[in-house]
Amino acid sequence: MKKFIGQRAVASAISLVGLVIMVFFLSRLTGDPTDLYLPVDASLQAREQFRELNGLNDPMMVQFGRYVADLAVLDLGMSLRQARPAIDVVLEGFAWTLRLACVTMLLVTFFAIVIGSLAAFRVGGIFDRIATFFSLIGASAPDFWLAIVAIVVFAVNLRWLPTSGTGTIWHWVLPVSVLFIRPFGLILQVVRGSMIGVLSSAYVKTARAKGVRNRPIIFVHGLRNGMLPVITVLGDQAAGILNGAVIVETIFGFPGIGKLMIDSILQRDFNVVLAAIMVSALAIFLMNLLIDLAYALLDPRIRY
Amino acid sequence: MTCELTCTTSLLLGAFLGTAAFAQDDNAVTIVLSEELELIDPCMASQSNIGRVLLQNISETLTVFQPSTAELLPKLAESWEETEAGTWRFKLRSGVSFSDGTPFGASDVVHSLERSISDQISCEIGGKYFGGFEIKAVAVDDTTVDITSDPAQPILPLLMSSLTIVPEETPLEYVQTPVGTGPYEMTERNMGTNIVLERREEYWGEMPAVAKATYVFRSDSSVRAAMVEVGEADIAPVISELEATNPDTDFAYPNSETTYLRLDHATAPLNDRRVREALNLAVDREAFIGTLMALEAILATAVVPPSTAGYNADLKPYAFDPDRARELLAEAKADGVTVDTPIRIIGRIGLFPNDAEVLEALMAMFQDVGFTVSLEMLEVGEYNSYYNRPFAEDRGPQMVSAQHDNAKGDPVFSMYFKYGTEGQQSGLVYPELDEMIAKATAATGEERTALWSDAMTSIHEEHIGDVLLFHMVGFSRVSPRLDFKPTIATNSELQLSQIGFK
Repeated sequence: MKKFIGQRAVASAISLVGLVIMVFFLSRLTGDPTDLYLPVDASLQAREQFRELNGLNDPMMVQFGRYVADLAVLDLGMSLRQARPAIDVVLEGFAWTLRLACVTMLLVTFFAIVIGSLAAFRVGGIFDRIATFFSLIGASAPDFWLAIVAIVVFAVNLRWLPTSGTGTIWHWVLPVSVLFIRPFGLILQVVRGSMIGVLSSAYVKTARAKGVRNRPIIFVHGLRNGMLPVITVLGDQAAGILNGAVIVETIFGFPGIGKLMIDSILQRDFNVVLAAIMVSALAIFLMNLLIDLAYALLDPRIRY
Repeated sequence: MTCELTCTTSLLLGAFLGTAAFAQDDNAVTIVLSEELELIDPCMASQSNIGRVLLQNISETLTVFQPSTAELLPKLAESWEETEAGTWRFKLRSGVSFSDGTPFGASDVVHSLERSISDQISCEIGGKYFGGFEIKAVAVDDTTVDITSDPAQPILPLLMSSLTIVPEETPLEYVQTPVGTGPYEMTERNMGTNIVLERREEYWGEMPAVAKATYVFRSDSSVRAAMVEVGEADIAPVISELEATNPDTDFAYPNSETTYLRLDHATAPLNDRRVREALNLAVDREAFIGTLMALEAILATAVVPPSTAGYNADLKPYAFDPDRARELLAEAKADGVTVDTPIRIIGRIGLFPNDAEVLEALMAMFQDVGFTVSLEMLEVGEYNSYYNRPFAEDRGPQMVSAQHDNAKGDPVFSMYFKYGTEGQQSGLVYPELDEMIAKATAATGEERTALWSDAMTSIHEEHIGDVLLFHMVGFSRVSPRLDFKPTIATNSELQLSQIGFK
């Protein structure tokens, strides 16, 4: 197991180095940030001063060398936009996104597994048909549309919930609900499909023949084996949210990493872009590792 | 089962997120801005998003310009006079203290100016208002300061309405907690979430009605509008025209922006006056009003709004006359002007509402009279490389779609940059116009107003500097519980002291 984790860490580190090099040069190819930070009528002298102050006058390789040297002492540089360490800016954003992702994925996992399993129990039944219908709608509805409709209906017309922002538990209801819908629809379908296969297998039939009741058959005998494909999709969806739920964060005013990354790219805040990519990549590496470990936990035949 | 689920979910969410009360006091306001403040340093207050929070709320200036009356009023300076050419003496208000308790004096003014123009920090105020000339301040005594500029700046007192005053102890690096002499101090800042200002009881001036202001940030216009509608916010200074549908809460106000196409006078065929006139005559400006542009937008005859000194109200926008435009093009062509050369319109994505549609319509109008025109919509970074000097040598003829903001009341903040031969965003190349601008820049009083008027008339009538389009309007939504009406200044500052409660 330790060897497996070590190998994965080395492979991820290599990918991370490649990613950093690529993003460093590609982001700088998008242009000089000076025009974005100084007023459009700033003098040439002021522009030159800005470039000098931020090392933008140096050749690209010199800038890269400086970045790598700083990185060696875990200094990810300063944010041009916020004039504070880029890593602080990114970790603040990541903390918001992490909370959003955790709450959403916990709810998605719970409801998708319960409803998907029940739908698989009687394929073609009324419960199955309703669940399938709504899950397909959920999986295909665009986030931005859902978010605006949710605000108009629940905040403006019904006045049940706040429109946006953070502060109370009620502020989380709409963004979590909007984020919930797509992965819920998708995972419910995967659970249903997987469980249909499992519930028709020989060992389930044996259990039934022995008189085991429905609930243990679904949630004890079936679920453990039906979960393997589900975990992969769960991981993908969680990684998607961790990478930044850009639209939901933007509309609901959540200061998460997705919105931060988009703003930083548009503003050419290079250090923040790089720091955000590194933090996201590390999070996804950990997520994939956890998925692999969960595989081993669920299926004794898998050994690392 | 249902109860079990609900209870579990609520407990889970509650334990994970914690709860916080959201209370609104009677004399507190919430203002919803379209973008987060990246920096909160007073020397960056000329950026509209920063200025709306800081200007005259936390950070005050020596003088203050009132656009409604075009008057320059005293603030931290009680009076000022020109003691010799290029030197102005400011008598400062006494008994004023900063929010950190230190007293305000002449040395603070000296430091504030030095900090804003220092090459150790990229202050926007320094780059925007004090670039291109030498300026220095000397403390005469605690309440007197001499400010000298070279070459002399006759509008130096007006320039001082931009300089935000910080204590002399303020370091050269950007500060995260602004300190000022204003009626409010920042008591809370949660990055990405909100900024809270609270009234300072020891403020030197009249105590404002608003005791506490919370600024929150939502980039979506419909969300900002909805927040005021449901009472979560009191003011949304900028909402889209589409949202501004409630006459009881929504206001249109001139936002001091002027939209125009900058013509490149150095390249053929735009170097021919007839071609530039034909471009102007090809545009049906009236057709945009109430369709792609707001009903309240005004046709422009200058790059500055009508509230600016020297604005010539007698100038008329070019009439829509496509036949005359075709004639002019034919005349130019007969004289060997390459009128068929393709001309690029360079647009900036998201510059103003409906920008792409407006430019597409303009392109069709130009094509209709015989021009070969194409449109390129660029993202801001790439766009700026076309907008600012140095321009590419082999650029070919271009019309750059642009907006210019001047709420300061004097054309000096516009004319050199927009129309000087070496101006940062100028497409013009006329030494005689450079001279007119230089003369007006150096003049004072009525002579100054007259000279600016002449320069603007010359640009519009003789040189046909640009394809001027519209003086723009912005839209705000204000809660019915407030006594507040947005003005031309709301685009760049939002003085809490001007807000009352009904």
